[in-house]
Amino acid sequence: MKADVAVVGSGLAALIATRSLQKAGRNPVLIWPGLSSLYFVYATVDVLGYSDATSLQPVEHPGTGVAALIADHPDHPYARAGLDALGDGIALLMEWLEEAGFRWRGSLDRNLLLPTATGTPKPSCLYPESMAAGDLGRDEPIVLCGFEGYEDFVPELAASNLSRSWGRGDQSVRAIRVSLPGFEPGKMFTSIDIARNLENDAFRREVAQQIRGKASRGGDHVRVGLPAVLGLTHDTDVYERFQSELGHPIFEIPTLPPSVLGLRLFDRLRKHLQETGVEMIWAAPAHEAEVSDGQCRRIYLKSAGREHPIDARAYVLALEDMVDGALRAGVHSVVDPFFHQSLAHHAVPTERTDESLFKPQPFASIGYAVTDRLQPAAGDGHPLASNLFVAGGAIAGYDPTGTKSRGGLAIATGHRAAQEAMAA
Amino acid sequence: MPDTTTGVVVIGGGSTGAGVLRDLSLRGIDALLVEKGDLASGTTGRSHGLLHSGGRYCVNDLAAAIECVEEGRILRRIAKTTIEDTGGYFVSVSEEDLAWEPRFVEGCGKAGITCERISVEEARRREPALSKHVRTVFWIPEDGHLDPFYLVMGNVESARRRGAQARTYTEVTGFTRDGNRLTGVLTRDTMTGEETSIGCKAVINATGAWAGFVARLLEVEVKVVPVKGVMVVLSHRVAHATINRCHKPGDGDIIVPALSVAILGTTSARVPHPEVLPIEWDEVRHMIEEGALMADGVSTARAMRAYAGVRPLYDLGAEAEGREMSRNFAVIDHEERDGIAGFASIVGGKVTTYRLMAERVTDLVARWLGVTTSCTTAEVPLNDRDDELDQLRHRPAQLGVPKPHGDELSLQPLVCECELVRPQDVAPWFEDAAVRTLEDIRRRTRTGMGPCQAAICSYRLAGRLVTDRHQDGPTATRAMADLLETRWRGVRPVFWGSQLRQAQVTAGLHLELFNLDRQLMFQSQPPSDALLPPPLPGEGRGGGEEAHAPEVASKR
Repeated sequence: MKADVAVVGSGLAALIATRSLQKAGRNPVLIWPGLSSLYFVYATVDVLGYSDATSLQPVEHPGTGVAALIADHPDHPYARAGLDALGDGIALLMEWLEEAGFRWRGSLDRNLLLPTATGTPKPSCLYPESMAAGDLGRDEPIVLCGFEGYEDFVPELAASNLSRSWGRGDQSVRAIRVSLPGFEPGKMFTSIDIARNLENDAFRREVAQQIRGKASRGGDHVRVGLPAVLGLTHDTDVYERFQSELGHPIFEIPTLPPSVLGLRLFDRLRKHLQETGVEMIWAAPAHEAEVSDGQCRRIYLKSAGREHPIDARAYVLALEDMVDGALRAGVHSVVDPFFHQSLAHHAVPTERTDESLFKPQPFASIGYAVTDRLQPAAGDGHPLASNLFVAGGAIAGYDPTGTKSRGGLAIATGHRAAQEAMAA
Repeated sequence: MPDTTTGVVVIGGGSTGAGVLRDLSLRGIDALLVEKGDLASGTTGRSHGLLHSGGRYCVNDLAAAIECVEEGRILRRIAKTTIEDTGGYFVSVSEEDLAWEPRFVEGCGKAGITCERISVEEARRREPALSKHVRTVFWIPEDGHLDPFYLVMGNVESARRRGAQARTYTEVTGFTRDGNRLTGVLTRDTMTGEETSIGCKAVINATGAWAGFVARLLEVEVKVVPVKGVMVVLSHRVAHATINRCHKPGDGDIIVPALSVAILGTTSARVPHPEVLPIEWDEVRHMIEEGALMADGVSTARAMRAYAGVRPLYDLGAEAEGREMSRNFAVIDHEERDGIAGFASIVGGKVTTYRLMAERVTDLVARWLGVTTSCTTAEVPLNDRDDELDQLRHRPAQLGVPKPHGDELSLQPLVCECELVRPQDVAPWFEDAAVRTLEDIRRRTRTGMGPCQAAICSYRLAGRLVTDRHQDGPTATRAMADLLETRWRGVRPVFWGSQLRQAQVTAGLHLELFNLDRQLMFQSQPPSDALLPPPLPGEGRGGGEEAHAPEVASKR
């Protein structure tokens, strides 16, 4: 199959790169290797939550924070992509979401502190409107509401933690629980069950009525935090109806997988790409790049028992670390699937990790070394192929986990890689 | 005056101590067990779970083999729900193995072990996982998997129903005596520091590899040699039946399919202390290489974690006179040997023979107490309750087939999807005072033992600490982090392949979606009253790690 630009990946970087190409009037093909990492960890788009992995002080202005990071670390992927790529990529995403019918908020000017399911404030740059009322910069008391039989959001746990880190004067956090229609002891729900059922008007009104009775005891001006289960497909439809039925501002809090927020976001963006004419190839892991004269001539997809070549003018590899199989970790070596380069070697597998799960992990920084143009670089710093560009988690040398910067990096590198692919 | 009194104090909450507690209670003797950690948290819970037919010992250690034959048959009667009756293969893959075979066959004959030579073709038909290196095969129907956790919990629960008590996280710090006679033990709660004295007529030291430390409190010596064994857990069963190498027992020559996983065992290295159990890369690598000689799929399966246990090998040389029954375990009568009346130690042995060990030492102590009731542990089943529900055993077969979402409001409820643990399997343990940490819940229910290693269920369990145990958020969050960290320690030695993918999802979930790293940093800061709101009604102020123990303990 022939293509203009082939984008490989299933995360935010791949989506942004594809959209950038589409908006520039190009004809990208999106090769989607498998389940997206968005399903697991995405709810908000985090650009820079903390300046480093050990700081407890959130970054207030992510734009300024990234600029400082670029100044201090010229090899950081943010520096390679450039501040403009981040700004342009975010503008592109916000415009895209609006065109796709989703309402998102936020900008590089400010991180909002939003509560997580453990009741921990988390700095977030871009977020769906349905999360906005969780802003911990606001003063209204918070009521966190859980559902009997749903253990993936425990309001008592979150409220107890949040009341310690947030709350001065009138601010307070309280936990309530309601029973969903049809609940009986021993029954349990998943986020998907509840999200689907809340799309039903009668079901939702009954839940709203129950919550209203319990939440209002905290006063007229309380806001209600709910697990992110407000509708399976649309981001504001159920949220708006529910809010008006409830009579209090409400906000969603992301839960254990399956993350309904990630599901909604990813499904919508993917479908929108398809609706607007982008070709997608599903569930086909890509491997093996054929390079000659410094150019990548084709890559091969594994599909239904045979190999399927894709010949493109340029390629964007926007794979998210390990989650979608970008890197293959043997016992000692981590190898990339395209050039079969050893990206890291460890005498002992233990070296790949820190003693604590909650510290930066060496393995998370493994990836392609890249040139200034995001081309995968050989040991001597020269590009392995001049028409191939890397975006997202597969770039070496950084771990977005501790700084809460995964989304921003995906956007900046995805957008920049797309620009480079167009110029190649 | 002691704070409490009982007939016999049993020290040690492994299979031996639990077996002793049950034996005492069946003979009508009032008993109390103290364990410095959790039940089954020492040697027993870190065994490979092979229910020995005796085949492994029949050449070098005939007496032990014969005990295994008898005890294995008894356990099949009394502890059915703790056993997977898989049968096992003994396979030869080298010339040396073939040379071992005649001795193996002879040993099986002497020990009374059923042993059938089958053709390699027939063996492959039954067990396609057997590797191409396998040259000859014996079928040993009485090998199997013995679940060490359920075994210990089953014994303790059975004893509790007869009035016995078990105290976890309770360390013995000393003894009270009247002349040469023990009159009680002094204990300290390892979490709260609370000290208690327990009056009793006799004490049984069933602490295995730790027996020397307990004996030293009375200035007597019990020579136990701690020998480390490393095990690797594979994410699926790999084979239908256990597989042993038919040779002189060595490293990496056992594969045990155990519930949802397979366990490769084991190594043997003397260690300076039973709690110093480093897992070396060479041990892990060797185990996988050796396992792959016997079964396909060992080297390609996902290695999920590695763990190490310690064998309590008893130094028989100096203690020959203390030995009552067997080369493999010994009952030490400290009155006879050291002039300390009312004190006995039970040392050596292995999980398969725990019941016999318990019987022998209980015989001695019953005699001291003038109790003539004979031992019935070989006849009375562990789960002898009228109710059919067996909380100790989680049975996937009972769960039925989950409904695909779309046609029903709710799915089959599960707290741990990897191990199919239901809420009703977990809930009662939150009411048990012996359960202090989420690891204790794991040992009793298998929650968090599957491929995700508690990434998902840890949050649900933390939630239950708040809702069911009324702990505050920071304490429950710390407990959740502790569970994840304990699981992480076992993951690190086998960190390759899809383990990296799993770790990325776990980190993404806990560090990015929950921001748990910041939550923990925040909690470990010294509390500043200027910044913090007053505690919610009914809550203590959570202050991170220090607050953890007293908070949990206050619920006892």
